Amino acid sequence: MGRGLVAVLLGVCAASPSAAQATGDPAAVNGLFRLFVDSKHVLVRSLVQDYSMPVAGDVNLTLHWNNEHVTIPGVSAPVGSPEAIDAITTASRPISGDAYQDYEKVRNELEGQVTRGPVAVGYYYSMESDYVGQQVSATYNRDLRDDQLNLSFGTSWGWDDILPLENQRSTTAASTKNTLHWNAVATQLLSPTSVVRFGVEYNHVSGLQHNPYRLVYAGGTTVPERHPDSRERRDAFVKFHQYLSNRSSLQFDYRIYDDDWGVLSHEIAGGLSQYVTRGFYARYQYRWYRQSSANFWSDDYTTTQGIDGYLTGDYRMSPLSSHLFGLSLNADLSVLAPDSPTLRRFALTFDYERYFNNENYSADILETGVEFRF
Amino acid sequence: MKIMKRASWRRAAWLLLAAALCAPSLTGCAAKGVAAYQRENLADPIMAFQTRAKKDARRVRALEAREGSTGGIGGEGGGCACK
Repeated sequence: MGRGLVAVLLGVCAASPSAAQATGDPAAVNGLFRLFVDSKHVLVRSLVQDYSMPVAGDVNLTLHWNNEHVTIPGVSAPVGSPEAIDAITTASRPISGDAYQDYEKVRNELEGQVTRGPVAVGYYYSMESDYVGQQVSATYNRDLRDDQLNLSFGTSWGWDDILPLENQRSTTAASTKNTLHWNAVATQLLSPTSVVRFGVEYNHVSGLQHNPYRLVYAGGTTVPERHPDSRERRDAFVKFHQYLSNRSSLQFDYRIYDDDWGVLSHEIAGGLSQYVTRGFYARYQYRWYRQSSANFWSDDYTTTQGIDGYLTGDYRMSPLSSHLFGLSLNADLSVLAPDSPTLRRFALTFDYERYFNNENYSADILETGVEFRF
Repeated sequence: MKIMKRASWRRAAWLLLAAALCAPSLTGCAAKGVAAYQRENLADPIMAFQTRAKKDARRVRALEAREGSTGGIGGEGGGCACK
């Protein structure tokens, strides 16, 4: 599992409870249950655990574990037929054995981060039956101008091993994908009631970037999907928060993204957070998204060579627009029940989101979370 | 024609963002300063960026499997079973 994971585990062992208590800062555990159900009947159930604790001095350790169980419905048409192609575009699965039965896969994700003052370093490991992802990351941030401005710089390097399972209709050898990422983020106080954040991000992705199981209908037959091996992705975003006098706040987000595959996208989001009573608030949100197609996307490939040698059956490469509505409820029991020695250590969250796009795709996302502070 | 239209949209959007980046400095809002005792509202959970950070990261990861873009949070993760 790599030396990075060993280092994280050693860090856990070194972070004894007595060391945490010595600093006087509370440790906290977060538990989250997440359910994702979409209109293609793909079901993702996630159990997330986050653990944060001070180790010694100004050193803080955070650990994250996510166990995901994914159920992908069986193919609903003869394997390899044009009708069956849509059934496998929303998630990766091999077509082998009894393809008409549901396919299930499990993913486990572990992440550790050590923070000391303005510097943080982290390691990420994700494993599933046909995919292993790893990443190392580092960030540095600094307050400037009497703490009016914070600048943050981050970078990461990820290396993924892709190990396609046996598939009846296509053969893809084991492959890799590498991702270099960097970002710069500035957060500026504007007034006692408003703050703005700007950021730019860059990713260079190299290696296998298409679904090794997906087939594309082209030239009267089906051929394996083929995307370019290199992709440069960049985006910039701005987030603005305004506090209002009736104990509420408005949030506005905008993001622009483009890449060298020809995809250009805009995202606009707005939110309103409102206290219902002390320690309990609701958040309403809306997100609008629109993107152009990749240069090699087509809804009708006339030859098996596609466009410039590339073919895609991935609707994420097509012109796309989507909407998302969300409601979030947050209760801090340290405010709602301050006299209870047990209850005041808890915070509760409930989130629901409804997503839909112009590809007749929709999804419901439900999250419930509990935080316990030691 | 389609490529030219896309390029002009792209240029306009990047210019708009650059203007937004410069706006606080041009208006002088940022230069006035916010004293420490004036930051009570800014530290409220409904104002803090940190409150939404983990949730935003989970959403970006889920939407990466449904849309062609990424980003907006300052980081990117690895593999995802839901793709």
